[in-house]
Amino acid sequence: MSGAWTTFKRELASYLRSPVGYVIAFLLYLLRGFEVDRLLRLTAAYGIDRERFATAYLMQNSSLMLLILVPAVLTMRVFAEERRSGSLEVLLTAPVRDGAVVLGKWGASFAFFALLWAPAFVLLAWFQDTSYLGTSLTWGPILTGLLGMLLVGALLLAAGCFTSSLTDNQLLASLSAMLFAWVALYGPSQFRAPPVADDGVGATGLDAAWRWLDAQVIRPVLDDVNVADHLQSWFLRGIVNSAHVVFYVAGTAALLFLTTRSLEARRWR
Amino acid sequence: MIDVEHLSKRFGSTLAVDDVSFAIPRGEVVGFLGPNGAGKTTTIRVLTCYHPATAGAVRVAGADVVKDPIAVRRAIGYLPENVPLYPDMRVEEYLRYRAELKGVARGLRRAFVHQAMERCGVTEVRRKMVGHVSRGYRQRVGLADALVARPPILILDEPTSGLDPNQRRRMKALIKELAREHTILFSSHILAEVADVVGRVLVIHQGKLRADGKIADLLAAAPGRELRITARIAGQALLELLDGLSTQGGARITAEADGFSSVALGLARDADPRDEAWARLRARDVAVRELALVLPTLEQYFAHVTELAAVPQEAGT
Repeated sequence: MSGAWTTFKRELASYLRSPVGYVIAFLLYLLRGFEVDRLLRLTAAYGIDRERFATAYLMQNSSLMLLILVPAVLTMRVFAEERRSGSLEVLLTAPVRDGAVVLGKWGASFAFFALLWAPAFVLLAWFQDTSYLGTSLTWGPILTGLLGMLLVGALLLAAGCFTSSLTDNQLLASLSAMLFAWVALYGPSQFRAPPVADDGVGATGLDAAWRWLDAQVIRPVLDDVNVADHLQSWFLRGIVNSAHVVFYVAGTAALLFLTTRSLEARRWR
Repeated sequence: MIDVEHLSKRFGSTLAVDDVSFAIPRGEVVGFLGPNGAGKTTTIRVLTCYHPATAGAVRVAGADVVKDPIAVRRAIGYLPENVPLYPDMRVEEYLRYRAELKGVARGLRRAFVHQAMERCGVTEVRRKMVGHVSRGYRQRVGLADALVARPPILILDEPTSGLDPNQRRRMKALIKELAREHTILFSSHILAEVADVVGRVLVIHQGKLRADGKIADLLAAAPGRELRITARIAGQALLELLDGLSTQGGARITAEADGFSSVALGLARDADPRDEAWARLRARDVAVRELALVLPTLEQYFAHVTELAAVPQEAGT
Protein backbone atom coordinates (compact mmCIF):
# COMPACT_ATOMS: atom_id res chain seq x y z
CA MET A 1 0.00 0.00 0.00
CA SER A 2 3.01 2.31 -0.20
CA GLY A 3 1.68 3.27 -3.64
CA ALA A 4 -1.46 4.65 -1.99
CA TRP A 5 0.60 6.76 0.42
CA THR A 6 2.79 8.12 -2.38
CA THR A 7 -0.28 8.96 -4.46
CA PHE A 8 -1.94 10.54 -1.42
CA LYS A 9 1.01 12.85 -0.79
CA ARG A 10 1.23 13.95 -4.42
CA GLU A 11 -2.50 14.57 -4.75
CA LEU A 12 -2.75 16.47 -1.47
CA ALA A 13 0.20 18.65 -2.52
CA SER A 14 -1.60 19.27 -5.79
CA TYR A 15 -4.78 20.39 -3.94
CA LEU A 16 -2.76 22.67 -1.70
CA ARG A 17 -0.96 24.20 -4.66
CA SER A 18 -3.97 24.74 -6.86
CA PRO A 19 -5.90 27.99 -6.42
CA VAL A 20 -9.24 26.15 -6.74
CA GLY A 21 -9.25 25.02 -3.12
CA TYR A 22 -8.53 28.50 -1.81
CA VAL A 23 -11.22 30.09 -3.97
CA ILE A 24 -13.73 27.54 -2.68
CA ALA A 25 -12.65 28.15 0.91
CA PHE A 26 -12.89 31.92 0.47
CA LEU A 27 -16.42 31.80 -0.96
CA LEU A 28 -17.63 29.27 1.60
CA TYR A 29 -16.37 31.26 4.55
CA LEU A 30 -17.67 34.51 3.16
CA LEU A 31 -21.10 32.90 3.04
CA ARG A 32 -20.59 31.28 6.42
CA GLY A 33 -19.64 34.63 7.87
CA PHE A 34 -23.02 36.11 6.92
CA GLU A 35 -24.83 33.02 8.16
CA VAL A 36 -23.08 33.02 11.52
CA ASP A 37 -23.68 36.72 11.91
CA ARG A 38 -27.41 36.17 11.36
CA LEU A 39 -27.41 33.21 13.73
CA LEU A 40 -25.75 35.23 16.47
CA ARG A 41 -28.30 38.02 16.09
CA LEU A 42 -31.13 35.53 16.33
CA THR A 43 -29.54 33.96 19.36
CA ALA A 44 -29.15 37.33 21.01
CA ALA A 45 -32.73 38.35 20.16
CA TYR A 46 -34.65 35.20 20.96
CA GLY A 47 -32.26 33.03 22.90
CA ILE A 48 -31.55 29.54 21.63
CA ASP A 49 -30.44 26.76 23.87
CA ARG A 50 -26.90 25.56 23.54
CA GLU A 51 -27.61 22.31 21.77
CA ARG A 52 -29.82 23.90 19.18
CA PHE A 53 -27.15 26.49 18.56
CA ALA A 54 -24.68 23.73 17.74
CA THR A 55 -27.11 22.09 15.33
CA ALA A 56 -28.01 25.35 13.68
CA TYR A 57 -24.37 26.37 13.44
CA LEU A 58 -23.43 23.28 11.46
CA MET A 59 -26.59 22.99 9.38
CA GLN A 60 -26.24 26.11 7.24
CA ASN A 61 -26.43 26.64 3.50
CA SER A 62 -22.66 26.75 3.35
CA SER A 63 -22.60 23.26 4.86
CA LEU A 64 -24.96 22.03 2.18
CA MET A 65 -22.72 23.61 -0.44
CA LEU A 66 -19.81 21.89 1.21
CA LEU A 67 -21.64 18.60 0.75
CA ILE A 68 -23.19 19.05 -2.68
CA LEU A 69 -20.77 21.25 -4.63
CA VAL A 70 -17.39 20.78 -3.03
CA PRO A 71 -16.88 17.00 -3.27
CA ALA A 72 -17.92 17.15 -6.93
CA VAL A 73 -15.47 19.96 -7.69
CA LEU A 74 -12.62 18.41 -5.69
CA THR A 75 -12.88 15.02 -7.35
CA MET A 76 -13.91 15.92 -10.90
CA ARG A 77 -10.34 16.06 -12.16
CA VAL A 78 -8.86 13.06 -10.32
CA PHE A 79 -9.25 10.59 -13.17
CA ALA A 80 -10.95 12.59 -15.93
CA GLU A 81 -8.04 15.01 -16.20
CA GLU A 82 -5.43 12.23 -16.13
CA ARG A 83 -7.29 10.39 -18.81
CA ARG A 84 -7.56 13.49 -20.99
CA SER A 85 -3.88 14.40 -20.68
CA GLY A 86 -2.74 10.79 -21.01
CA SER A 87 -0.88 10.76 -17.69
CA LEU A 88 -3.18 7.96 -16.53
CA GLU A 89 -1.08 5.66 -18.71
CA VAL A 90 2.10 6.74 -16.94
CA LEU A 91 0.43 6.28 -13.56
CA LEU A 92 -1.10 2.88 -14.25
CA THR A 93 2.02 1.40 -15.86
CA ALA A 94 3.99 2.11 -12.68
CA PRO A 95 4.23 -0.85 -10.31
CA VAL A 96 1.19 0.13 -8.23
CA ARG A 97 -2.22 -1.50 -7.98
CA ASP A 98 -5.22 0.36 -9.35
CA GLY A 99 -6.82 0.09 -5.91
CA ALA A 100 -3.87 1.86 -4.29
CA VAL A 101 -4.14 4.71 -6.78
CA VAL A 102 -7.88 5.05 -6.14
CA LEU A 103 -7.38 4.96 -2.38
CA GLY A 104 -4.58 7.54 -2.52
CA LYS A 105 -6.56 9.95 -4.67
CA TRP A 106 -9.73 9.61 -2.63
CA GLY A 107 -7.75 9.92 0.61
CA ALA A 108 -6.19 13.18 -0.55
CA SER A 109 -9.57 14.63 -1.55
CA PHE A 110 -10.95 13.59 1.84
CA ALA A 111 -8.04 15.17 3.70
CA PHE A 112 -8.56 18.42 1.81
CA PHE A 113 -12.31 18.26 2.41
CA ALA A 114 -11.69 17.81 6.14
CA LEU A 115 -9.30 20.75 6.02
CA LEU A 116 -12.07 22.91 4.57
CA TRP A 117 -14.14 22.23 7.71
CA ALA A 118 -11.36 23.27 10.07
CA PRO A 119 -12.02 27.05 10.10
CA ALA A 120 -15.62 26.45 11.16
CA PHE A 121 -14.31 24.84 14.32
CA VAL A 122 -11.65 27.42 14.97
CA LEU A 123 -14.45 29.96 14.80
CA LEU A 124 -16.50 27.99 17.33
CA ALA A 125 -13.58 27.74 19.71
CA TRP A 126 -13.29 31.50 19.47
CA PHE A 127 -16.98 31.97 20.40
CA GLN A 128 -16.34 29.72 23.34
CA ASP A 129 -13.38 31.72 24.56
CA THR A 130 -14.90 35.15 24.32
CA SER A 131 -18.21 33.86 25.67
CA TYR A 132 -19.86 35.59 22.77
CA LEU A 133 -22.99 33.59 23.38
CA GLY A 134 -23.17 34.31 27.02
CA THR A 135 -23.13 30.60 27.61
CA SER A 136 -20.70 27.76 27.08
CA LEU A 137 -21.00 25.39 24.12
CA THR A 138 -21.84 21.73 24.27
CA TRP A 139 -19.19 20.02 22.24
CA GLY A 140 -20.98 16.66 21.99
CA PRO A 141 -23.37 17.48 19.14
CA ILE A 142 -20.74 19.60 17.43
CA LEU A 143 -18.26 16.74 17.30
CA THR A 144 -20.83 14.15 16.27
CA GLY A 145 -22.14 16.66 13.75
CA LEU A 146 -18.64 16.97 12.32
CA LEU A 147 -18.35 13.18 12.28
CA GLY A 148 -21.60 13.00 10.31
CA MET A 149 -20.46 15.68 7.85
CA LEU A 150 -17.16 13.88 7.31
CA LEU A 151 -18.86 10.51 6.82
CA VAL A 152 -21.30 11.95 4.28
CA GLY A 153 -18.41 13.79 2.65
CA ALA A 154 -16.41 10.56 2.39
CA LEU A 155 -19.31 8.91 0.59
CA LEU A 156 -19.86 11.82 -1.80
CA LEU A 157 -16.14 12.13 -2.54
CA ALA A 158 -16.05 8.42 -3.39
CA ALA A 159 -19.04 9.01 -5.69
CA GLY A 160 -17.10 11.89 -7.30
CA CYS A 161 -14.07 9.65 -7.84
CA PHE A 162 -16.36 7.13 -9.46
CA THR A 163 -18.00 9.59 -11.89
CA SER A 164 -14.56 11.00 -12.70
CA SER A 165 -13.31 7.52 -13.58
CA LEU A 166 -16.16 7.08 -16.07
CA THR A 167 -15.33 9.96 -18.38
CA ASP A 168 -12.56 12.25 -19.56
CA ASN A 169 -14.90 15.24 -19.36
CA GLN A 170 -14.46 17.04 -16.05
CA LEU A 171 -17.70 19.01 -16.35
CA LEU A 172 -19.69 15.85 -16.91
CA ALA A 173 -17.93 14.18 -13.98
CA SER A 174 -18.69 17.04 -11.59
CA LEU A 175 -22.31 17.45 -12.70
CA SER A 176 -22.94 13.73 -12.24
CA ALA A 177 -21.37 13.85 -8.80
CA MET A 178 -23.55 16.84 -7.85
CA LEU A 179 -26.62 15.00 -9.06
CA PHE A 180 -25.63 12.01 -6.96
CA ALA A 181 -25.15 14.22 -3.89
CA TRP A 182 -28.44 16.03 -4.47
CA VAL A 183 -30.36 12.79 -4.81
CA ALA A 184 -28.64 11.30 -1.76
CA LEU A 185 -29.56 14.35 0.36
CA TYR A 186 -33.06 15.12 -0.91
CA GLY A 187 -34.21 12.11 -2.88
CA PRO A 188 -35.38 9.82 -0.08
CA SER A 189 -37.56 12.46 1.62
CA GLN A 190 -38.97 13.69 -1.70
CA PHE A 191 -40.08 10.31 -2.90
CA ARG A 192 -43.81 9.70 -2.72
CA ALA A 193 -45.57 6.55 -3.78
CA PRO A 194 -48.30 7.31 -6.34
CA PRO A 195 -51.70 7.52 -4.63
CA VAL A 196 -53.90 4.46 -4.79
CA ALA A 197 -57.55 4.12 -3.91
CA ASP A 198 -57.90 3.22 -0.24
CA ASP A 199 -60.31 0.35 -0.47
CA GLY A 200 -63.29 -1.03 -2.30
CA VAL A 201 -63.94 0.82 -5.52
CA GLY A 202 -61.04 0.97 -7.93
CA ALA A 203 -58.59 -0.90 -5.73
CA THR A 204 -57.10 -3.75 -7.67
CA GLY A 205 -54.70 -6.48 -6.72
CA LEU A 206 -51.96 -4.42 -8.33
CA ASP A 207 -52.73 -1.46 -6.06
CA ALA A 208 -52.59 -3.66 -3.01
CA ALA A 209 -49.32 -5.16 -4.12
CA TRP A 210 -47.93 -1.70 -4.73
CA ARG A 211 -49.06 -0.50 -1.30
CA TRP A 212 -47.43 -3.52 0.30
CA LEU A 213 -44.22 -2.93 -1.65
CA ASP A 214 -44.19 0.72 -0.59
CA ALA A 215 -44.75 0.00 3.08
CA GLN A 216 -42.56 -3.06 3.40
CA VAL A 217 -39.69 -2.40 1.02
CA ILE A 218 -39.42 1.07 -0.50
CA ARG A 219 -40.14 3.14 2.59
CA PRO A 220 -37.79 1.26 4.96
CA VAL A 221 -34.99 1.29 2.42
CA LEU A 222 -35.45 4.99 1.76
CA ASP A 223 -35.44 5.64 5.48
CA ASP A 224 -32.21 3.75 5.80
CA VAL A 225 -30.49 5.77 3.08
CA ASN A 226 -31.96 9.15 4.02
CA VAL A 227 -28.75 11.10 4.33
CA ALA A 228 -30.39 14.39 5.28
CA ASP A 229 -32.35 12.65 8.04
CA HIS A 230 -29.22 10.90 9.30
CA LEU A 231 -27.60 14.28 9.69
CA GLN A 232 -30.53 16.26 11.11
CA SER A 233 -32.13 13.73 13.41
CA TRP A 234 -29.03 11.92 14.57
CA PHE A 235 -25.51 13.22 14.10
CA LEU A 236 -26.33 16.88 14.65
CA ARG A 237 -28.21 16.06 17.81
CA GLY A 238 -25.26 14.26 19.26
CA ILE A 239 -26.45 10.73 18.57
CA VAL A 240 -24.25 8.30 16.68
CA ASN A 241 -26.07 5.28 15.31
CA SER A 242 -23.55 2.60 14.44
CA ALA A 243 -25.81 1.41 11.60
CA HIS A 244 -25.41 4.83 9.98
CA VAL A 245 -21.65 4.76 10.40
CA VAL A 246 -21.55 1.33 8.79
CA PHE A 247 -23.78 2.62 5.96
CA TYR A 248 -21.35 5.43 5.07
CA VAL A 249 -18.18 3.42 5.50
CA ALA A 250 -19.56 0.52 3.45
CA GLY A 251 -21.02 2.87 0.84
CA THR A 252 -17.67 4.64 0.49
CA ALA A 253 -15.84 1.32 0.18
CA ALA A 254 -18.33 0.08 -2.42
CA LEU A 255 -17.97 3.23 -4.54
CA LEU A 256 -14.17 3.07 -4.34
CA PHE A 257 -14.34 -0.56 -5.39
CA LEU A 258 -16.54 0.42 -8.34
CA THR A 259 -14.03 3.14 -9.23
CA THR A 260 -11.24 0.56 -9.33
CA ARG A 261 -13.32 -1.71 -11.53
CA SER A 262 -14.21 1.16 -13.81
CA LEU A 263 -10.51 1.99 -14.27
CA GLU A 264 -9.87 -1.62 -15.18
CA ALA A 265 -12.87 -1.77 -17.49
CA ARG A 266 -11.81 1.35 -19.41
CA ARG A 267 -8.61 -0.44 -20.37
CA TRP A 268 -10.52 -3.06 -22.28
CA ARG A 269 -11.71 -0.54 -24.82
CA MET B 1 13.52 -10.79 -21.42
CA ILE B 2 10.41 -10.22 -23.50
CA ASP B 3 8.47 -13.17 -24.90
CA VAL B 4 5.37 -12.56 -26.97
CA GLU B 5 3.46 -15.55 -28.26
CA HIS B 6 0.53 -15.27 -30.64
CA LEU B 7 -0.54 -11.93 -29.24
CA SER B 8 -3.82 -10.55 -30.57
CA LYS B 9 -5.66 -7.45 -29.41
CA ARG B 10 -9.13 -6.53 -30.54
CA PHE B 11 -10.92 -3.23 -29.93
CA GLY B 12 -14.57 -3.84 -30.70
CA SER B 13 -14.59 -4.97 -34.31
CA THR B 14 -11.06 -3.75 -35.09
CA LEU B 15 -8.22 -6.23 -34.83
CA ALA B 16 -5.37 -3.92 -33.80
CA VAL B 17 -2.76 -6.63 -33.30
CA ASP B 18 -3.07 -9.93 -35.13
CA ASP B 19 -1.17 -13.02 -33.97
CA VAL B 20 2.18 -11.38 -33.29
CA SER B 21 5.05 -13.43 -31.88
CA PHE B 22 8.59 -12.35 -31.08
CA ALA B 23 11.23 -12.73 -28.41
CA ILE B 24 13.82 -10.26 -27.22
CA PRO B 25 16.75 -11.70 -25.27
CA ARG B 26 18.52 -9.83 -22.47
CA GLY B 27 20.71 -6.97 -23.58
CA GLU B 28 19.33 -6.64 -27.09
CA VAL B 29 18.22 -3.34 -28.59
CA VAL B 30 15.32 -3.76 -30.96
CA GLY B 31 13.60 -1.25 -33.18
CA PHE B 32 9.87 -1.55 -33.55
CA LEU B 33 8.83 -0.14 -36.91
CA GLY B 34 5.56 0.48 -38.58
CA PRO B 35 3.48 3.25 -40.07
CA ASN B 36 1.17 5.21 -37.80
CA GLY B 37 -1.72 3.04 -36.69
CA ALA B 38 0.12 -0.21 -37.40
CA GLY B 39 -0.31 -1.58 -33.87
CA LYS B 40 3.00 -0.52 -32.31
CA THR B 41 1.54 1.40 -29.40
CA THR B 42 -1.12 -1.24 -28.79
CA THR B 43 1.53 -3.96 -28.59
CA ILE B 44 3.59 -1.81 -26.23
CA ARG B 45 0.56 -1.17 -24.03
CA VAL B 46 0.01 -4.89 -23.68
CA LEU B 47 3.67 -5.32 -22.70
CA THR B 48 3.35 -2.61 -20.06
CA CYS B 49 0.10 -4.13 -18.71
CA TYR B 50 -1.98 -1.09 -19.66
CA HIS B 51 -4.21 -3.08 -22.01
CA PRO B 52 -4.95 -6.75 -21.51
CA ALA B 53 -4.40 -8.97 -24.55
CA THR B 54 -7.39 -10.51 -26.30
CA ALA B 55 -5.41 -13.67 -26.97
CA GLY B 56 -1.87 -14.93 -26.61
CA ALA B 57 0.73 -15.03 -23.87
CA VAL B 58 3.18 -12.29 -22.94
CA ARG B 59 5.99 -12.69 -20.44
CA VAL B 60 8.33 -9.92 -19.43
CA ALA B 61 11.39 -10.68 -17.28
CA GLY B 62 9.89 -14.09 -16.56
CA ALA B 63 6.57 -12.74 -15.24
CA ASP B 64 3.24 -13.10 -16.99
CA VAL B 65 1.46 -9.82 -17.76
CA VAL B 66 -1.89 -11.22 -16.60
CA LYS B 67 -0.80 -13.15 -13.52
CA ASP B 68 1.83 -10.82 -12.15
CA PRO B 69 1.45 -7.35 -13.69
CA ILE B 70 3.23 -5.64 -10.80
CA ALA B 71 6.43 -7.66 -11.36
CA VAL B 72 6.22 -6.88 -15.09
CA ARG B 73 5.77 -3.15 -14.48
CA ARG B 74 8.63 -3.19 -11.99
CA ALA B 75 10.93 -4.62 -14.68
CA ILE B 76 9.97 -2.00 -17.27
CA GLY B 77 10.83 1.64 -17.62
CA TYR B 78 8.28 3.07 -20.02
CA LEU B 79 8.32 6.28 -22.03
CA PRO B 80 4.89 6.67 -23.63
CA GLU B 81 4.31 8.56 -26.83
CA ASN B 82 3.58 12.29 -26.22
CA VAL B 83 5.19 12.02 -22.76
CA PRO B 84 2.27 13.00 -20.52
CA LEU B 85 3.65 14.42 -17.27
CA TYR B 86 2.16 16.37 -14.36
CA PRO B 87 2.69 20.02 -15.36
CA ASP B 88 2.20 21.33 -11.81
CA MET B 89 5.30 19.65 -10.37
CA ARG B 90 8.94 20.65 -10.56
CA VAL B 91 11.23 18.36 -12.53
CA GLU B 92 13.18 17.00 -9.58
CA GLU B 93 10.08 16.75 -7.43
CA TYR B 94 8.31 14.82 -10.17
CA LEU B 95 11.20 12.37 -10.53
CA ARG B 96 11.33 11.86 -6.76
CA TYR B 97 7.63 11.15 -6.70
CA ARG B 98 8.02 8.66 -9.54
CA ALA B 99 10.97 6.97 -7.84
CA GLU B 100 8.92 6.59 -4.67
CA LEU B 101 5.93 5.29 -6.63
CA LYS B 102 8.18 2.74 -8.31
CA GLY B 103 9.36 1.52 -4.92
CA VAL B 104 12.91 2.88 -4.84
CA ALA B 105 14.01 2.67 -1.19
CA ARG B 106 14.04 5.97 0.67
CA GLY B 107 17.83 5.97 1.21
CA LEU B 108 18.56 5.41 -2.50
CA ARG B 109 16.02 7.84 -3.94
CA ARG B 110 18.15 10.95 -3.98
CA ALA B 111 21.08 9.20 -5.66
CA PHE B 112 18.85 7.47 -8.23
CA VAL B 113 17.05 10.68 -9.13
CA HIS B 114 20.29 12.61 -9.44
CA GLN B 115 21.86 9.99 -11.64
CA ALA B 116 18.81 9.82 -13.91
CA MET B 117 18.78 13.63 -14.22
CA GLU B 118 22.50 13.64 -14.94
CA ARG B 119 22.26 10.99 -17.65
CA CYS B 120 19.34 12.61 -19.39
CA GLY B 121 20.77 16.10 -19.08
CA VAL B 122 17.90 17.66 -17.19
CA THR B 123 19.86 18.73 -14.11
CA GLU B 124 19.83 22.36 -15.26
CA VAL B 125 16.02 22.47 -15.33
CA ARG B 126 15.45 20.50 -12.10
CA ARG B 127 13.79 23.42 -10.34
CA LYS B 128 11.53 24.33 -13.26
CA MET B 129 7.89 23.35 -13.52
CA VAL B 130 7.42 20.36 -15.80
CA GLY B 131 4.75 22.33 -17.67
CA HIS B 132 7.20 25.13 -18.43
CA VAL B 133 10.14 23.25 -19.97
CA SER B 134 10.59 22.84 -23.73
CA ARG B 135 9.54 19.80 -25.71
CA GLY B 136 13.09 18.45 -25.84
CA TYR B 137 13.47 18.69 -22.08
CA ARG B 138 10.05 17.18 -21.50
CA GLN B 139 11.06 14.18 -23.57
CA ARG B 140 14.22 13.85 -21.52
CA VAL B 141 12.34 14.20 -18.25
CA GLY B 142 10.12 11.36 -19.47
CA LEU B 143 13.20 9.28 -20.23
CA ALA B 144 14.67 10.10 -16.82
CA ASP B 145 11.39 8.88 -15.33
CA ALA B 146 11.70 5.61 -17.29
CA LEU B 147 15.27 5.19 -15.99
CA VAL B 148 14.88 6.35 -12.44
CA ALA B 149 14.15 2.99 -10.78
CA ARG B 150 16.90 1.33 -12.88
CA PRO B 151 14.69 -1.26 -14.56
CA PRO B 152 16.33 -3.95 -16.71
CA ILE B 153 14.03 -3.19 -19.65
CA LEU B 154 13.27 0.11 -21.34
CA ILE B 155 10.29 0.49 -23.64
CA LEU B 156 10.35 3.76 -25.53
CA ASP B 157 7.41 4.71 -27.72
CA GLU B 158 8.47 7.22 -30.39
CA PRO B 159 11.19 8.76 -28.20
CA THR B 160 12.42 11.06 -30.99
CA SER B 161 9.10 12.35 -32.29
CA GLY B 162 8.64 16.10 -32.09
CA LEU B 163 12.32 16.82 -31.49
CA ASP B 164 14.54 19.04 -33.65
CA PRO B 165 17.50 17.42 -35.44
CA ASN B 166 20.02 18.26 -32.71
CA GLN B 167 17.76 17.00 -29.97
CA ARG B 168 17.15 13.84 -32.01
CA ARG B 169 20.86 13.24 -32.36
CA ARG B 170 21.34 13.66 -28.63
CA MET B 171 18.40 11.38 -27.84
CA LYS B 172 19.83 8.68 -30.11
CA ALA B 173 23.28 8.98 -28.53
CA LEU B 174 21.65 8.62 -25.13
CA ILE B 175 19.71 5.53 -26.19
CA LYS B 176 22.91 4.01 -27.57
CA GLU B 177 24.59 4.63 -24.26
CA LEU B 178 21.68 3.11 -22.37
CA ALA B 179 21.85 0.05 -24.59
CA ARG B 180 24.94 -1.03 -22.69
CA GLU B 181 22.92 -1.69 -19.56
CA HIS B 182 19.33 -2.22 -20.64
CA THR B 183 17.27 -4.37 -22.94
CA ILE B 184 15.53 -1.79 -25.12
CA LEU B 185 12.47 -1.88 -27.34
CA PHE B 186 12.23 1.37 -29.22
CA SER B 187 9.41 2.22 -31.58
CA SER B 188 9.48 4.69 -34.42
CA HIS B 189 8.07 5.36 -37.83
CA ILE B 190 11.25 7.11 -38.88
CA LEU B 191 13.60 4.47 -40.23
CA ALA B 192 16.82 6.42 -40.14
CA GLU B 193 16.34 6.89 -36.39
CA VAL B 194 16.20 3.19 -35.87
CA ALA B 195 18.97 2.17 -38.27
CA ASP B 196 21.50 4.29 -36.34
CA VAL B 197 20.68 2.81 -32.99
CA VAL B 198 19.54 -0.77 -33.22
CA GLY B 199 20.77 -4.02 -34.70
CA ARG B 200 17.45 -5.76 -35.05
CA VAL B 201 14.07 -4.54 -36.21
CA LEU B 202 10.52 -5.78 -35.99
CA VAL B 203 8.27 -4.43 -38.71
CA ILE B 204 4.57 -4.36 -37.99
CA HIS B 205 1.85 -3.34 -40.41
CA GLN B 206 -1.91 -3.58 -40.12
CA GLY B 207 -1.46 -5.49 -36.88
CA LYS B 208 0.68 -8.22 -38.40
CA LEU B 209 4.39 -8.76 -37.92
CA ARG B 210 5.86 -8.43 -41.42
CA ALA B 211 9.54 -8.83 -40.68
CA ASP B 212 11.89 -9.63 -37.85
CA GLY B 213 15.66 -9.72 -38.13
CA LYS B 214 18.92 -7.83 -38.38
CA ILE B 215 18.68 -4.82 -40.65
CA ALA B 216 21.57 -6.03 -42.85
CA ASP B 217 20.02 -9.49 -43.26
CA LEU B 218 16.61 -8.09 -44.09
CA LEU B 219 18.05 -5.76 -46.69
CA ALA B 220 20.26 -8.47 -48.21
CA ALA B 221 17.24 -10.70 -48.66
CA ALA B 222 14.92 -7.96 -49.84
CA PRO B 223 13.99 -7.34 -53.46
CA GLY B 224 15.45 -4.25 -55.08
CA ARG B 225 19.11 -5.33 -55.08
CA GLU B 226 21.01 -3.92 -58.03
CA LEU B 227 24.42 -4.14 -59.64
CA ARG B 228 25.41 -0.65 -60.79
CA ILE B 229 28.16 -0.20 -63.34
CA THR B 230 29.55 2.96 -64.91
CA ALA B 231 32.01 2.39 -67.77
CA ARG B 232 33.44 4.21 -70.83
CA ILE B 233 31.31 2.53 -73.45
CA ALA B 234 27.98 3.22 -75.13
CA GLY B 235 24.98 2.29 -73.06
CA GLN B 236 23.56 -0.28 -75.42
CA ALA B 237 26.96 -1.93 -75.87
CA LEU B 238 27.38 -2.14 -72.10
CA LEU B 239 24.01 -3.84 -71.77
CA GLU B 240 24.97 -6.37 -74.44
CA LEU B 241 28.29 -6.98 -72.73
CA LEU B 242 26.59 -7.74 -69.45
CA ASP B 243 23.79 -9.71 -71.02
CA GLY B 244 22.47 -12.52 -68.88
CA LEU B 245 23.79 -11.25 -65.58
CA SER B 246 20.54 -9.72 -64.44
CA THR B 247 18.55 -12.33 -62.57
CA GLN B 248 15.49 -10.32 -61.65
CA GLY B 249 13.80 -7.24 -63.03
CA GLY B 250 16.06 -6.87 -66.09
CA ALA B 251 18.69 -4.29 -66.92
CA ARG B 252 18.37 -0.59 -67.77
CA ILE B 253 20.51 2.35 -68.72
CA THR B 254 20.40 4.97 -65.99
CA ALA B 255 22.69 7.65 -67.47
CA GLU B 256 24.91 8.42 -70.47
CA ALA B 257 27.34 11.34 -70.38
CA ASP B 258 30.92 12.22 -71.42
CA GLY B 259 31.29 8.88 -73.16
CA PHE B 260 30.44 7.02 -69.95
CA SER B 261 27.29 5.00 -69.47
CA SER B 262 25.67 3.83 -66.28
CA VAL B 263 23.51 0.73 -66.11
CA ALA B 264 21.61 -0.97 -63.33
CA LEU B 265 21.00 -4.72 -63.34
CA GLY B 266 18.22 -6.08 -61.14
CA LEU B 267 19.33 -8.99 -58.98
CA ALA B 268 17.53 -11.77 -57.21
CA ARG B 269 18.30 -12.40 -53.56
CA ASP B 270 21.74 -13.95 -52.96
CA ALA B 271 22.84 -13.26 -56.54
CA ASP B 272 26.25 -11.53 -56.73
CA PRO B 273 27.66 -11.37 -60.31
CA ARG B 274 30.28 -8.72 -59.53
CA ASP B 275 33.25 -10.93 -60.38
CA GLU B 276 31.70 -12.11 -63.62
CA ALA B 277 30.88 -8.54 -64.66
CA TRP B 278 34.39 -7.37 -63.85
CA ALA B 279 35.88 -10.25 -65.86
CA ARG B 280 33.78 -9.37 -68.91
CA LEU B 281 34.62 -5.66 -68.71
CA ARG B 282 38.34 -6.40 -68.37
CA ALA B 283 38.28 -8.80 -71.32
CA ARG B 284 37.05 -5.89 -73.50
CA ASP B 285 39.46 -3.49 -71.81
CA VAL B 286 36.75 -1.02 -70.87
CA ALA B 287 37.55 1.74 -68.40
CA VAL B 288 35.35 1.30 -65.33
CA ARG B 289 34.45 4.09 -62.92
CA GLU B 290 32.02 2.28 -60.70
CA LEU B 291 31.00 -1.28 -60.05
CA ALA B 292 28.86 -1.74 -56.98
CA LEU B 293 26.27 -4.00 -55.48
CA VAL B 294 23.56 -1.73 -54.07
CA LEU B 295 21.18 -2.93 -51.41
CA PRO B 296 17.75 -1.37 -51.16
CA THR B 297 17.58 1.39 -48.56
CA LEU B 298 15.65 0.75 -45.42
CA GLU B 299 13.11 3.24 -46.79
CA GLN B 300 12.57 1.14 -49.91
CA TYR B 301 12.42 -2.02 -47.90
CA PHE B 302 9.86 -0.51 -45.56
CA ALA B 303 7.72 0.71 -48.44
CA HIS B 304 7.90 -2.72 -49.97
CA VAL B 305 6.94 -4.54 -46.78
CA THR B 306 4.17 -2.20 -45.76
CA GLU B 307 2.66 -1.25 -49.10
CA LEU B 308 2.84 -4.47 -51.03
CA ALA B 309 2.35 -6.35 -47.79
CA ALA B 310 2.63 -9.69 -49.52
CA VAL B 311 6.08 -10.74 -48.44
CA PRO B 312 6.37 -13.85 -46.30
CA GLN B 313 8.03 -13.29 -42.94
CA GLU B 314 11.78 -13.07 -43.32
CA ALA B 315 14.56 -14.59 -41.25
CA GLY B 316 13.14 -15.21 -37.79
CA THR B 317 14.87 -15.13 -34.45
